[in-house]
Amino acid sequence: MTFNQATFIVNLYRKLGKGVVNVFLAVFVFITVFPFVWSAILATHDRTTMFSGGINFALGDKIVQNYGNLLKIMDFWTGMMNSFSISVIGTAVSLLFCSMAGYALATYQFKGKNAIFGIMVGSMMIPPVLTLIPYYMVISALGLANTHLAVWLPFTINPFGIFLIRQYVVASVPKDLLEASKLDGASELRTYWSVVLPLLRPGLATLAIVQFVFLWNNFLQPLVVLNSPDKMVITQMLRGVQGVPNTPWGAVMLGTTISILPLVALYLTASKQMIAGLTAGAVK
Amino acid sequence: MNSDIASPHDLTQLEETGTQKRERFLTKFTPYGFLSPYILIYGVFGIFPVFFMIYLSFHLWNPVEGLSSMEYVGFENYVLSLTDPQLWQTMWNTLVMAILSGVPQHLFALPLAYFLVMMGPKVRHWLTTAYFLPYITSTVAVSMIFYVMYSKDSGIINAVLAYLADAGWSSWLFGGLKDVLPLGWVQENSLIRYSVSFVVWWKYVGFNTVIYTAGLATISHDLYEAAKIDGANSWQRFRHVSLPLLKPFIFFGVTLTIIGNMNLFDEPFVLTVGGQFAQTAGKTISNYLYQIAWEWLDMGAAAAVSWILFVVIGIFTAVYFYFFGRQGLGGE
Amino acid sequence: MKTQLKAGVAALSLLAAATFAADIRIDGFPDYDTQINAIKDGLPQHNIEMLKNNHGDHHNKLKTNLATGSGAGDVVLIDVGFIGSFVNAGGFVDLSDFYKGMAGDYASYAVEAGKGNDGKQYAVPVDLGPGVMYFRRDYMEDMGFDLDEVMTDWDTYVAYGAELKKKGILLIGNASAIANAYYRFNVAEGEGLYFDADGKSLVTSERFVRGFELAKAVRDGGMDGNISEWTEDWYAGFREGKFATQMSGAWLLGHLKNWIAPDTSGLWGVSNLPAGTYGTWGGSYLAIPKQAKNPAAAWDLIQYMISEDIQLAGFKNIAAFPAHTGTYSDPSFNESIEFLRGQKARQMFANIANNITPVTPMNGDLIAEDLVNQALDKVLNDGVSIEKALKDAEKQIKRRVR
Repeated sequence: MTFNQATFIVNLYRKLGKGVVNVFLAVFVFITVFPFVWSAILATHDRTTMFSGGINFALGDKIVQNYGNLLKIMDFWTGMMNSFSISVIGTAVSLLFCSMAGYALATYQFKGKNAIFGIMVGSMMIPPVLTLIPYYMVISALGLANTHLAVWLPFTINPFGIFLIRQYVVASVPKDLLEASKLDGASELRTYWSVVLPLLRPGLATLAIVQFVFLWNNFLQPLVVLNSPDKMVITQMLRGVQGVPNTPWGAVMLGTTISILPLVALYLTASKQMIAGLTAGAVK
Repeated sequence: MNSDIASPHDLTQLEETGTQKRERFLTKFTPYGFLSPYILIYGVFGIFPVFFMIYLSFHLWNPVEGLSSMEYVGFENYVLSLTDPQLWQTMWNTLVMAILSGVPQHLFALPLAYFLVMMGPKVRHWLTTAYFLPYITSTVAVSMIFYVMYSKDSGIINAVLAYLADAGWSSWLFGGLKDVLPLGWVQENSLIRYSVSFVVWWKYVGFNTVIYTAGLATISHDLYEAAKIDGANSWQRFRHVSLPLLKPFIFFGVTLTIIGNMNLFDEPFVLTVGGQFAQTAGKTISNYLYQIAWEWLDMGAAAAVSWILFVVIGIFTAVYFYFFGRQGLGGE
Repeated sequence: MKTQLKAGVAALSLLAAATFAADIRIDGFPDYDTQINAIKDGLPQHNIEMLKNNHGDHHNKLKTNLATGSGAGDVVLIDVGFIGSFVNAGGFVDLSDFYKGMAGDYASYAVEAGKGNDGKQYAVPVDLGPGVMYFRRDYMEDMGFDLDEVMTDWDTYVAYGAELKKKGILLIGNASAIANAYYRFNVAEGEGLYFDADGKSLVTSERFVRGFELAKAVRDGGMDGNISEWTEDWYAGFREGKFATQMSGAWLLGHLKNWIAPDTSGLWGVSNLPAGTYGTWGGSYLAIPKQAKNPAAAWDLIQYMISEDIQLAGFKNIAAFPAHTGTYSDPSFNESIEFLRGQKARQMFANIANNITPVTPMNGDLIAEDLVNQALDKVLNDGVSIEKALKDAEKQIKRRVR
């Protein structure tokens, strides 16, 4: 076997491997996108054409009618605005709170650290099915019933987020850097704000998406807390018209599809931040 | 510190000035300062529910009769629950589905994240968006769509299988299916776990991929360059550079999967039409918990089941932390 | 400034006292939002707002509100499935005095079901679900079967299924509906559905065994589709004429006609259940939670919603079958229905509503219902014997009902 032949075979393997990887990635795109695209297609149908004759991938012509119907059965854009403001404020505040807590747990040694971390992980393990009643008792005792505050504030200290940031600090913030910053005379707060936070950017972007999605899709707490129709969030509204036999599925599918778009837009923005630490093809 | 002779350094510390005192005070309290939002908010919103549920688990309570109707029953709720065969059956169902959906999630997400990072930034950007879609789509819409795909008579999955069993080129492999088609993916106890696990897997692979991609972003590419110069191939770089540095993220992701999957609720609930079908194998402990609490209105027994589940998850997590915590938590 | 404000508030409350104007919130589920929107202008003295959540969410929210004593609407809509556990919960205003004079105008079984064990009226019926057998005329008289013969009793009904099977037609979408109908609608006077008057379980009694046997005979004979109700496959079954019969409430008619199977118009008929059994599927109640701020105004709304005219309007708007029996003499009840090949079905619905025997709600009904359904699933799908499944269910019920 000549050298050329050997290189050829190696290259062939490499190309084959790449081909396999590409096919694998593409197939997976199909699997993940398919239901979403399908729900978008369903948004252009109405009840009678939606499922008749099995599965139908043709675009329907009912989108305008569905939109009109959607506005008729719910105050769609009020719901969207409510969801939006709750999710934006809740996410912003939780980025701050979670990064502070996660940073403290990752870098400092102090009394009660393990206890706090234990409580945090433990509180993730409590089945959420039952906490609804005591949660509502707290909310109404504090006079927060029927306020938006009640559906975002308690979730700004999401243990998931704190844990994620903690792991992120461990992985990406070198201890020497913190020492150096302190030697330069920077205060603790300043170190956190101008040294640590910029390094955490990919982690914060990840957390922002997760937190935003959580707040946006959350419906159990809004369900019991929000009592006036003008304060309702979009998930609640969309669920509100479902479950009866004559659910207007065309309108619901359209509403669902529209309601996902802000999340997609946010993901596209955050995704750029998430890989900010990476230069193209770094691993090649 | 053990030395009896004070060094000059120690002397200066003994005679510290007011500013230094303030500084020491500050250093000591800094971590608590950073944690204060957590402590405050958890104190207000988080602690009460926990104590309420502990209290509840020792009482008989029908919630629609109001708070005043609670009746103390000692350990009765725990005895009732621990001797309940359905509790252990649903616990087992949960465990099986947790493993069926959880293990493949990570086995898939890790290489996927690695491949994505290898691709150009544009491709990666769009691909991760596609992979992340299942996570952001609402569970109700997702489950409804899957329900239609799993449908026995008109579902696309059975249609494809029927085609494969019939077509000349594939019948040697799929022909055997002819006798069992159409399959009741969400009706049969023998299939429901796979049907549910697939949806759960589908939903969270992208999520884990994003976590791992963000993790890979922390790895300086000098390390890869160095490995490359040392002659490491792609697999070796993954195995010896990426994987060790990803440990905190793998640890995080797996912990979350353990906790999340043991609390699995939505997917089995919707796919079995609110718990109408395939309950022997398809009902998770969270579904059972929900049924006891909100349908049977026996909050006390449900609280006891919650704590039993809590302990089981706690044991799994503790075992996991014991074996992998040192590497996974790092920095200590 | 402050005194001015106070004066203003005082003036406002004076005004309120003068006209009894109030903001009333009614919590409910669809389609009642359509009905409320259509009728609320008829009650101009109050400002009515509806909080709509889906059926399941609405009831979970209501349970939370009752548990914590706050957050419920002034009027709440309650599905008949929950009424038994709610009327004895102590969370609702006693409506006996308001309702006393008019109770006789409403279907008596439903009025009874709205009473607590103390005999007081805590909820009042607003719509009913009189139960009938929907059947395909083209698989019945058009094939030479005699309806009366088929519906003589449950055995002749199953025998009809066996005949259809030979022609490749299914008797019913899901056999479990047969078992359910049998044990639900053959309750002896003074008994509960699952418990006798002393609270002893009846789950292993003849009524359940027989119901299970019927369903099993249908399943084993291949006479049903084993298709879950309210799923796409089920709808398709109606569209494609797979099933010859279906038991359900009067309201199914509207769904069949409007969207499930509009093309099958003229092919359907309704009949009483086999053996002349009277049954009911669904129905809703209205009640005032004790936490309501203005029970008097809330009653105004209830009274309005159950008044004869509005009940008729509800029948037309959202096909809610009226609880007010006076509406049954309305000319519209004599109309022949094209979808049912000209049958005057509403007379039959009304007759059923007037003849249903009340069943005493019992503590533990919800638990027993779930466990019996699970047992049925095991019998039909997993091949467990009827005796064992029911015995296991009874054991669980005895443990669970405390």
